[in-house]
Amino acid sequence: MRPLTEEETKTLFAKLANYTGNSLKNLIAPLDNGANSDRYVFRLHQQRCYYVRLSLANLAVSVSRDKLLSLGTCLGKFTKTGKFRLHITALPILSEHARYKVWVKANGEMPFLYGGHIVKAHVGRWSEDCPEHQGVIVYSMNDTPLGFGVTARSTAEARRLDPTGITCFRQADCGEYLRDEDSLFAS
Amino acid sequence: MAPSRTSTVKSKHAANKSGIRNSKTSTRSQSDGVVKSKKPKSKGAPPKPQKSTSTLATLKKKRRVYTEKELNIPALNMITPIGVEKPKGKKKGKIFVDDRESMMTILAIVNADKEGQIESKMMKARQMEEIREARKADAEKRQELRKAKLDETKEGMRKKRKRASMGDGEKKENVRSEAASGTKPLKLKKKTVSFA
Repeated sequence: MRPLTEEETKTLFAKLANYTGNSLKNLIAPLDNGANSDRYVFRLHQQRCYYVRLSLANLAVSVSRDKLLSLGTCLGKFTKTGKFRLHITALPILSEHARYKVWVKANGEMPFLYGGHIVKAHVGRWSEDCPEHQGVIVYSMNDTPLGFGVTARSTAEARRLDPTGITCFRQADCGEYLRDEDSLFAS
Repeated sequence: MAPSRTSTVKSKHAANKSGIRNSKTSTRSQSDGVVKSKKPKSKGAPPKPQKSTSTLATLKKKRRVYTEKELNIPALNMITPIGVEKPKGKKKGKIFVDDRESMMTILAIVNADKEGQIESKMMKARQMEEIREARKADAEKRQELRKAKLDETKEGMRKKRKRASMGDGEKKENVRSEAASGTKPLKLKKKTVSFA
C-alpha cells in the first residue's frame, strides 16, 4: 500500500472530473478545522485505488501486504498502461458531487441494471445543457444512484432522437455487484 | 612436417643468440646457405608492413569521428529505446503526492482543464445547433417560395380557364374533364362532334 504518484493523482482526478463538478475539492478537504485533523487520502494497493481516512490508512500499515484485502472505498483500478478505470464501488462518492445527471423511469431501471444502455424512452429527466460524451450519473426517479455512463448525444440532439435511440452509454451499474462478484474486490 | 616447422622458428633466434657451435641448430644454419640469404630479407620484410599499418592507423586517426547526433540516426533505432532510457543524476524511485497542498494544485489544474474542455464542447454544440437552425429556416423559406410559385401558376391557369369557359359556355363539362391548355378544347370539340 502506498500513496499515489503525481502522474497517478493527475490521471485519477481527470477521470473523476469527468463526472463531478468543482465540488470535487471537498473530497480531500480536512474533516474539521484542527491542525492535526483527520482527512481523506488516496492509497494504492495491488493496482486498486482506495479512498480512505488517513487514520485508517495508518492503521492498515500494520497488516501485511498480501493479507490486506481492501480498505476504505475502492474507487477503481489502474491499468497496466497507466489509465484509470472507475468501479461501481466509486458510485457513492461520484453521486455526491455529480455534475450532470440522468433520471431513469421505473420501466428503464431493470434494463439498465442488467447492463443495457439507456434509451430515450426510459429517460424520465436529464440535466440541461449537457454536452456529448460527457460523464453522467444515472439515478432512479426517487433519486437513488444506479450507476454511471457517458452521454451519447447532447441534450438538444437527444430531444430529436427517436424513442429507441441510445441517449447514454452504460459504464457501470449496481448490477455489477452481483455480476462481477468474483472479480470486483479481488483480482 | 613438424621438424621443419620447428627449425624455421628456432633458426631466427638461434642464429643470433646461440653461441654453441656444436648444437644442431648452429650446424644447420651454417650448412643451409640459402636460408641465410633469405634471413635478412625476412628480417627486413616485417618492418615494411608494420610501417604500412602504422600509416593506415594514422590515416584512420585523421578521419573525423562523427557523433551520433551528426549522423542523423533515428532516435528509436538504438539498443535502449528512447522512452526507456532513464535520465542520469536523477533520484531513483517514485515521488509520492500525499500532502494536501500539492493535491489541491493538481486538482485545480485538472479541474480547469476539464472545465475548458466542457466549455469548448458546449460552444461547438451551440454553433452546430445555430447552423442547423439556419439551414432549416432556409429550407423552409425555399419551400414557401416554391409553394407560392405553384399557387401563382395554378391561379393563372384557373383564370385562363375561366376566360375560355366564358367564351364558349356550352363545352364546360368537357373542358373541366381535360383541364389543359386553351388549344385542347377545340380538338375535343371535334371529337365530341364525331361521337355525336
